Amino acid sequence: MYLRKNKNQLSRPARLLNRFMLIILFISMIIPFMNVLAIAFSTSKNSMVPGITLFPKEFSVEGFVLIWKTQNLWLPFLNSLFVTTVGTFFQVLLSALVGYILTKKDLPFRNLILSFVLITMMIPSELTLVSIYSLNRDLGLLNTYSGLIVNGLMSGFGIILMKNYFEAIPQSLFEAAQIDYASEFKIFFKIYLPMSIPGLVTVGFVSFVSKWNSLLIPVTIITDQNKFTLPVVLRSLIFNSTANSGTTFIAPNAIMAGIVISVLPLIIAYIIAQRFLVSGMNLGSIKG
Amino acid sequence: MILVWIHENTPFLYSMIFWHVKGGLIYMKCSSKSKSATLRKMKKYRFVYIMLIPLLLYFCIFSYIPLFMGLIQSFQKSKLLGVAEWSGLENYRELFADKEFMASLGNGFVIGLGTFLLTFIGGLILALLLNEIRNKHLRSLVQTTTYLPYLFSWTIVGGIWVYLLSSHGLANGFLSALSVKPMQFLTEPHYAKLIMVLTGAWKDIGYTAVLFFASIVVINSNLFEAAQIDSASRGKQMSKIILPELVPTMKTICLLGIIGLFTNFDQVYVMGNPAIIDSVRTPLLYIFEKGIVRFDIGVATSASVVLLLVTFLITLVFHHLIFKKEWK
Repeated sequence: MYLRKNKNQLSRPARLLNRFMLIILFISMIIPFMNVLAIAFSTSKNSMVPGITLFPKEFSVEGFVLIWKTQNLWLPFLNSLFVTTVGTFFQVLLSALVGYILTKKDLPFRNLILSFVLITMMIPSELTLVSIYSLNRDLGLLNTYSGLIVNGLMSGFGIILMKNYFEAIPQSLFEAAQIDYASEFKIFFKIYLPMSIPGLVTVGFVSFVSKWNSLLIPVTIITDQNKFTLPVVLRSLIFNSTANSGTTFIAPNAIMAGIVISVLPLIIAYIIAQRFLVSGMNLGSIKG
Repeated sequence: MILVWIHENTPFLYSMIFWHVKGGLIYMKCSSKSKSATLRKMKKYRFVYIMLIPLLLYFCIFSYIPLFMGLIQSFQKSKLLGVAEWSGLENYRELFADKEFMASLGNGFVIGLGTFLLTFIGGLILALLLNEIRNKHLRSLVQTTTYLPYLFSWTIVGGIWVYLLSSHGLANGFLSALSVKPMQFLTEPHYAKLIMVLTGAWKDIGYTAVLFFASIVVINSNLFEAAQIDSASRGKQMSKIILPELVPTMKTICLLGIIGLFTNFDQVYVMGNPAIIDSVRTPLLYIFEKGIVRFDIGVATSASVVLLLVTFLITLVFHHLIFKKEWK
């Protein structure tokens, strides 16, 4: 027993070095976040004082009030929330549907459809930006919420992940349901969907994060200020603060408050999804 | 030269496109031996096809059509209204004469490659370090904190770093604590690329580590037991078991990195202020400024085509070098 334990671990100095390096890394990751939180909860006067701030000197929420009410951050926040939630819902549903269809081994042209979907994963779609703009213009999607939802509604990743997940469900369940004369739709909704919740959560989480963070598509297709999403507004706030050309000066605590606000939904989504993530991700990465 | 090379490698090209579904098309042709059986199955699945058509149409419209549209537009004179005129290679000539574009290619390559290498090596090391930690709580704490920046958008991460590196930010706080005189990090074109690489790696390192770690966890534990019996040290186990077992993951990560090499937009769009933008402008930002802001659609699409070709060629070469053995 002693021998086994010893052999499967690093020697003592190496272990200490290992912990030391991890702690350094951990600190380098956590300090920026602490700094941001501390500034966000500072008064605007304190937020402009140079120095190392890891805790607010005077606790205040004036940055949040300023950014939320005076700078009207609530509007882009609601825009982002609406577009992201609707988009995520449809992406999960459609990915599951296509994934389920692609598990049918005897479906003619199955491999053709599969490669059709897979090739889209190989195209860096960002590079076709200008054509995507023209396309949205021709379809009348410029400056609309539906434009924000439709662009990037489906991804090869989600479909492949769901397909792999469904394939892990034993075929005998399907056959048993068929014997009971359950329709294909019923089998899909009553058996396959409830049994693959980790997969659904993973796809939902990934699409939620990517839609919430999306910057390129909104700046390309939206010019109407009332439909700006959160990243677009935040970016212009940050940009004006560095370019020294802003019409109104906004104190760092307000900008950091904006950052904290836009981080919150991601953190909440992560906490909800965390339990399912590792199993779901693994399936996608190994088989896909 | 390139054409000859592509011609010689046509079979390989096919296999590359369909490498996920190995020989998908061929399989399909062989399996449908009798046409009537296929037709019967198609009839059985007719509702499935009806459901699939709009979904596949979506991919057609939003993934495939932009590709061809871009190709066509790149040979046309850009006009906002009316019928477009063909202009041959005029756009490409203009594009390659544009110093801004050539500079952006270089910037994109340096920043992309630098970030990728740093993330790759750092992520690998982080995963190996994490694997040696037996304390579950410590491990998940480090894993979560390093993973978090990956979840945040570049507006968030960029905003954080723009503030940290500003004149009254944390970085200058440390410098003044060491009594070094304060620096304007984000107005120095010399440091701009380095800052982009470092912040890029800071954001992505945790995610890469998670990918590596997930593949370390599933390594067959028998291998380690066998190594113990042969009394191999832990360091030996790492280099002889873990690293070779990670090779497939490494290949996949490299491939994804290459596909995304020129797609950096958010980072420089957020962090690139007028003082440094010329030394960090990435190709995608160039396309955005040219095509969306200034409406020079012809030149912007020709830039897209060039970049897609470059990405495709690099992928091809990489694939040829790395996955070579699997095809023989």
